[in-house]
Amino acid sequence: MIDSLMLVDDENLFHLVFEDACSLLDISLSLKSLNSSDEAAKLFEKWFKGDLQDKPECVFVDLNIIGSSFDGIELIRKVNFEYGNNVVIGIISSSNEPEEQAKAVQAGAQFWIIKSDDIEPRLEQFKEDYEGYKNRTAPFKVYK
Amino acid sequence: MKFNKEIKNELIELLEKKNIGLEGNILKIIDTSDDPNFAKYVEDCKEKDKETRKKRLDITKQVQEKNKELLEVNAENERIMEELQSTLKEVEDAKITFEVQNRELVAWKQDNERISLELQQEMAKSELARIGAEEAKTAAVNDLDVLQKKKQTELIGNIVKIALGVIISIGIITTFMYILALLINKDTQMIGSTWSNMLGILLTNAFSIIGTIMGVKYSGKEDKE
Repeated sequence: MIDSLMLVDDENLFHLVFEDACSLLDISLSLKSLNSSDEAAKLFEKWFKGDLQDKPECVFVDLNIIGSSFDGIELIRKVNFEYGNNVVIGIISSSNEPEEQAKAVQAGAQFWIIKSDDIEPRLEQFKEDYEGYKNRTAPFKVYK
Repeated sequence: MKFNKEIKNELIELLEKKNIGLEGNILKIIDTSDDPNFAKYVEDCKEKDKETRKKRLDITKQVQEKNKELLEVNAENERIMEELQSTLKEVEDAKITFEVQNRELVAWKQDNERISLELQQEMAKSELARIGAEEAKTAAVNDLDVLQKKKQTELIGNIVKIALGVIISIGIITTFMYILALLINKDTQMIGSTWSNMLGILLTNAFSIIGTIMGVKYSGKEDKE
């Protein structure tokens, strides 16, 4: 089980869906949900400077975060190339564009989960693959 | 996480009597290995929590679906509104174009009416000029006719004068010669007959000339009429 998760998504209803799905599937013990990539970047900056309180093990980022200065791929790039690259991080989005996925890989995303009504099976698969992401042995994967 | 016996009993009693139990992820970190009763309590709480979460997840998904549908309907409405606005703009543009064309047509009609009026005035002027020209032509023709008649009359007068002059001269000369022959006692038989013949011929010719003149004059009057 993942100790702590972070979700960055502008859709508040999805926060509830994700929290309940993770709880039912025993994916994580705690979940922090944020609405904007700017807020997430600020936290990662703080953790990078040494204050590791509340730092998540794994981060799920939406691709298009309305109301933010930059999108999910840019947030992943910042986390990986500016704030230490020490969390499991990937995209959770309704988009399934190969071009965007290629960009996400370049930014250092480890997975891409397609967001839909029936998200539980994908999260279950992700849970099974999680150890591979944690020790950086699993390749980039799209959960359709 | 471990609880002491008292807390465990209180929690179990609370669940049994008031149906209030622990919820959420805290249940996943409680150590129940040494107490089967409390382990059952935690399992019951987990089961209850799971049911609650399932219900909430279903409802949230339904709300999310409705929300999605509403967003789609909203997007469709916005698209229709944009189309309506676009159509309205096209209609307004067409109306403006129509008004401009209408104004141009009215101006063109006014121009046409003005040109038509000018044309009518010019036609009236032209008609007047034509009538004037015809009158001038008639006057000129009349003048020419009068002039011709005048010339003719003059010519006739001259001819008459000359003819009368010739006749009178010949008459006078012949008469003089006949008188001279009488005075100088010459033979007058021949000149006398000649004089009488001559006088007869001259009178005949004179009357002939007068007759001709009168005929010409009469003929000219008929033509004029």
